[in-house]
Amino acid sequence: MSDRVIIVPCSGIGKTYGTVTREAAYQVVEELRQETTTIVPLSLLVLGDEEARAAVQDAQVITMDGCSLACATLNVRQAGGVVAKDFTVLDAFRRNKALKPKGISELNDGGQALARALADEVAQTVDELIDGGNTHA
Amino acid sequence: MPNLPKRKVGIVACSGEELPAGTVTRLAALKVLEELRPSETVTICLPLFLAGGEGDRAFAKFYPTIAVDGCAKRCAARATELYSNTPAASIVVDDILAQHNLPAPQGLRRLTPESQPVVDALAGAIAAEVDHLMAVRWSRTEGAILEAAPAAQEAVSTSACACGSGIPVTTVEVAGRAVQIMALEPVLELAYNQGLRANGALPPEILQTVQVYNTVPAGEEAQYAQALDLAWRAYCEQREGQNHG
Repeated sequence: MSDRVIIVPCSGIGKTYGTVTREAAYQVVEELRQETTTIVPLSLLVLGDEEARAAVQDAQVITMDGCSLACATLNVRQAGGVVAKDFTVLDAFRRNKALKPKGISELNDGGQALARALADEVAQTVDELIDGGNTHA
Repeated sequence: MPNLPKRKVGIVACSGEELPAGTVTRLAALKVLEELRPSETVTICLPLFLAGGEGDRAFAKFYPTIAVDGCAKRCAARATELYSNTPAASIVVDDILAQHNLPAPQGLRRLTPESQPVVDALAGAIAAEVDHLMAVRWSRTEGAILEAAPAAQEAVSTSACACGSGIPVTTVEVAGRAVQIMALEPVLELAYNQGLRANGALPPEILQTVQVYNTVPAGEEAQYAQALDLAWRAYCEQREGQNHG
């Protein structure tokens, strides 16, 4: 089992919520938990890339979906991975209703703040998964 | 009345999050969609192909698409072909770099300012392909260019997006169960506008056209035809009512 938690964000490019998941994922892997996380792009899983499939099958995976179709979660499961925790932007927004996201190419301040709130939740879950893995190793 | 987006080109960007070139594909696609060719393009969601996005699959099956990839794995092009149809055009960032003698893009979450020319060049290449595809005749039944002659003016207007809402879906009852038929209303509309009427058996063209957009299970053609006949008659009654109302 990989010692890094894999983050798989929604890869949608046409809607604000997809942008929020991508931004939050980057915040986790580039800022908050650089040493313990990595991104696997959804496009590789859609194609059935063997390396990407093996990666999600051999690690704890956190998915971040932008809409109810839950592409990230579904694609990880179809690739044979187990989703340790799935996050949705809509749920994050319900918990942070003051942070209204707008924009697609560039998020507004509310979207950036919502992405940070989501990233913080994901980072906390990463810690729990790592701690749990260490405890039971 | 829902309409099929007859004169739209779908853009499928790989959007790979682990490569700067993936970010380039995403930003270039958005530039085309939002700035360069907003009236002629829609975005096709690549992950939805596998997650069951029938609208995206149907669009890519019957309308021209441009796959835009960040690396030689060509996820967007190959996944589009795997789940729908061969893209009408396929562009890889490396080819654009070579054509324009540009340096490899840098940055994931935020591209460096020096990478912006790569986005601009790629967006220009996508827009050029859009213009080309809008100018040729496209066979929706074959999912391919027919010839390089200018297309006749389409009578049907376009819808906004292929992500679930671009292709209308109608629910009919087939042998007691609810079945969703992709693009039924536009098919009926086209048949009616071509002069067909509900004055006898279901015109065979309707079932044939429905089968272009939908999978009719083997052995259930007659049951589907019966359901379509009911929908066809109702549609004709509605149109006649409008004509005389």
